[in-house]
Amino acid sequence: MSSAREMLCDTARAVFAEAATAGIAPVEEAGFALLLVQEEAGGFGGDWGDVNAVLQIAGVMVPDLPVAELIASDALQSAATVSLMAGAMGEALALSIDHVNTRQQFGRPLGKFQAVQQSLAVMACEVRAVEAAAAALAARLDAVDIDPATADFEIAAAKLRANRAVGIVTSIAHQVHGAIGFTEEYDLHRVTVPLMRWRGEHGNDAYWAARLGRQVAGFGGQGLWEALTIRSDKSRTE
Amino acid sequence: MQGFALYPFNPPGDVAALRAGLRNWLAVNQPQGDIVSRANCWASFDADFSRALGAAGYVGMTLPTRYGGGDRHPLERYVVIEELLAAGAPVGAHWIADRQTGPLIVRYGSEEQRQRYLPGIAKGELFACIGLSEHGAGSDLTAVRTTARETAEGWRINGQKIWTTGAHFSHIMLALVRTEEGSERNAGLSQLLIDLDTPGVTIRPIIDMAGHHDFNEVFFDDVLVPHGALVGTRGQGWQQVTAELGLERSGPERYLSSHALFAALIDAAGADPDPAIAVLIGELTAEMWTLRQLSMSTAAKLAAGEDPMVEASVVKELGNAFEQDMPRRVQAIVNCGWDDTDDLARLLRALLIASPSFSLRGGTREVIRGIIARGLGLR
Ligand SMILES: Cc1cc2nc3c(=O)[nH]c(=O)nc-3n(C[C@H](O)[C@H](O)[C@H](O)COP(=O)(O)OP(=O)(O)OC[C@H]3O[C@@H](n4cnc5c(N)ncnc54)[C@H](O)[C@@H]3O)c2cc1C
Repeated sequence: MSSAREMLCDTARAVFAEAATAGIAPVEEAGFALLLVQEEAGGFGGDWGDVNAVLQIAGVMVPDLPVAELIASDALQSAATVSLMAGAMGEALALSIDHVNTRQQFGRPLGKFQAVQQSLAVMACEVRAVEAAAAALAARLDAVDIDPATADFEIAAAKLRANRAVGIVTSIAHQVHGAIGFTEEYDLHRVTVPLMRWRGEHGNDAYWAARLGRQVAGFGGQGLWEALTIRSDKSRTE
Repeated sequence: MQGFALYPFNPPGDVAALRAGLRNWLAVNQPQGDIVSRANCWASFDADFSRALGAAGYVGMTLPTRYGGGDRHPLERYVVIEELLAAGAPVGAHWIADRQTGPLIVRYGSEEQRQRYLPGIAKGELFACIGLSEHGAGSDLTAVRTTARETAEGWRINGQKIWTTGAHFSHIMLALVRTEEGSERNAGLSQLLIDLDTPGVTIRPIIDMAGHHDFNEVFFDDVLVPHGALVGTRGQGWQQVTAELGLERSGPERYLSSHALFAALIDAAGADPDPAIAVLIGELTAEMWTLRQLSMSTAAKLAAGEDPMVEASVVKELGNAFEQDMPRRVQAIVNCGWDDTDDLARLLRALLIASPSFSLRGGTREVIRGIIARGLGLR
């Protein structure tokens, strides 16, 4: 991560910590609405990679505040939601790892049991997949001047992939936590309930699958591979 | 594993031109053959094709030029192999030599071994197989019992390997053997490069459930190979094999083996697909796109000299699941008879039958998940 982006993330963490109790006002005051606005126009001059990083933090710290709406236009909300989801899933995984390494049953930490290890491995794969989808979508958006129409394929693929991970990630996270994860007091629901909500917002599975499927049908069997490679080679060079 | 970012996939040079050159070459040189051989094509053997591919400079691309290689960047090779797999080209003959034996000889081999084997590998003419598994050593490779004793004349090998893919057409085997008498577990193991025409080597076919002869049993009966057959450091076989497996797990073959079926499904669906089929195509596309990003990122990390053991395992786990899921879901939605002779039906049947092996070879699903769990800090 570049040092500018690291500083941005540090700021985001500090501001979101305040916003967690004070509401959206500190986020507005800190100027996050200007994140994507060009420097010449008095903005921060950030790219979607920055948005992705900030929203992953927002997805953990302030999932209920309209941070994505503040930063990005309506047409980019599905892309923004992928980043929120990636952040929340990373947190669900971190909480789960921490829990199974601490909680003891049958005289050992839960994480020593192979069944628990295999579940968490499955969960980790889903989380990695969504993080990769969010990062690849960011690369594409930044290659096409953050034009959602030109990144339609990647938005559809990334949101659909994130949606499909929600069931696995939330169910395994809750399963390994046992009853404590089902309490209001414990933090897990602060990420799992938003994940359940985000799956249905800005396009559920059926919506994006049908759209993406029709687009790919238009490419044809061989055309799909050509489209995939042209699009990623372009993200790479620009 | 927290805070995962995609590693940038930045091969040097003009990637689009590299793709275009290869696509043009394939348009002329790819055998038409049976459509079914395009599925799981890294198991499709065609020595003529491998030789032609080598002559065109697409085999041994990353090997040093002084050994006949192309001295190309590993990510250029990645682009080439993903193109070959997407096209369903019959790359099975040289696949293992190109993917792992060649790079391993560069990394650990002696100068003599490099000169002896690498030029043939780069020409697409010298084929290799992997001798790890034995009757008693499957998931638990530390149970290897094949022995090699050092004598005045060289190494004397006794024992047996099993499930050795391509041993029947390979020239060499890179075998994991026990060189230290009385050693146990992962100590005392070494890697030997064995010429398979050495007296005392017997190769017996094992026919798989698809009716194919891909893997074999290989017997070693007092086989004598020279001292120079040792690869790398005596006793370090375990460490070397572990590094080798990293090369094996995250490549594009982990999600492109079934691409011929996916392409046939898309073509059969037509430009205005049935809504349920459109949904299936959409879901498979999202998974494939994501897997490609993960695989490219892992390749970039490997190319940068890092050891992405966990990421590589994530690619294998998700890729295997994708490729096992695909034929099942296609069958669930497309109406085609088991014995139908159209392309889609034949690809479907072939992949339904082939797919159980995906999560066995190269590390079983359970072993791979164990590696990921360890990477998470469990165990
Ligand atoms: C098509 C194909 C090609 C192959 N090619 C080669 C080759 O070229 N060279 C080569 O050396 N080998 C090859 N193999 C062998 C392959 O590496 C082994 O099949 C694999 O390592 C598993 O070993 P096994 O078959 O003995 O199964 P086992 O080890 O007996 O395992 C059976 C089942 O038990 C599970 N299991 C085992 N131990 C544990 C544990 N501790 N915890 C939880 N579950 C466990 C496994 O995951 C698996 O599901 C090939 C296999 C196939 C199917």
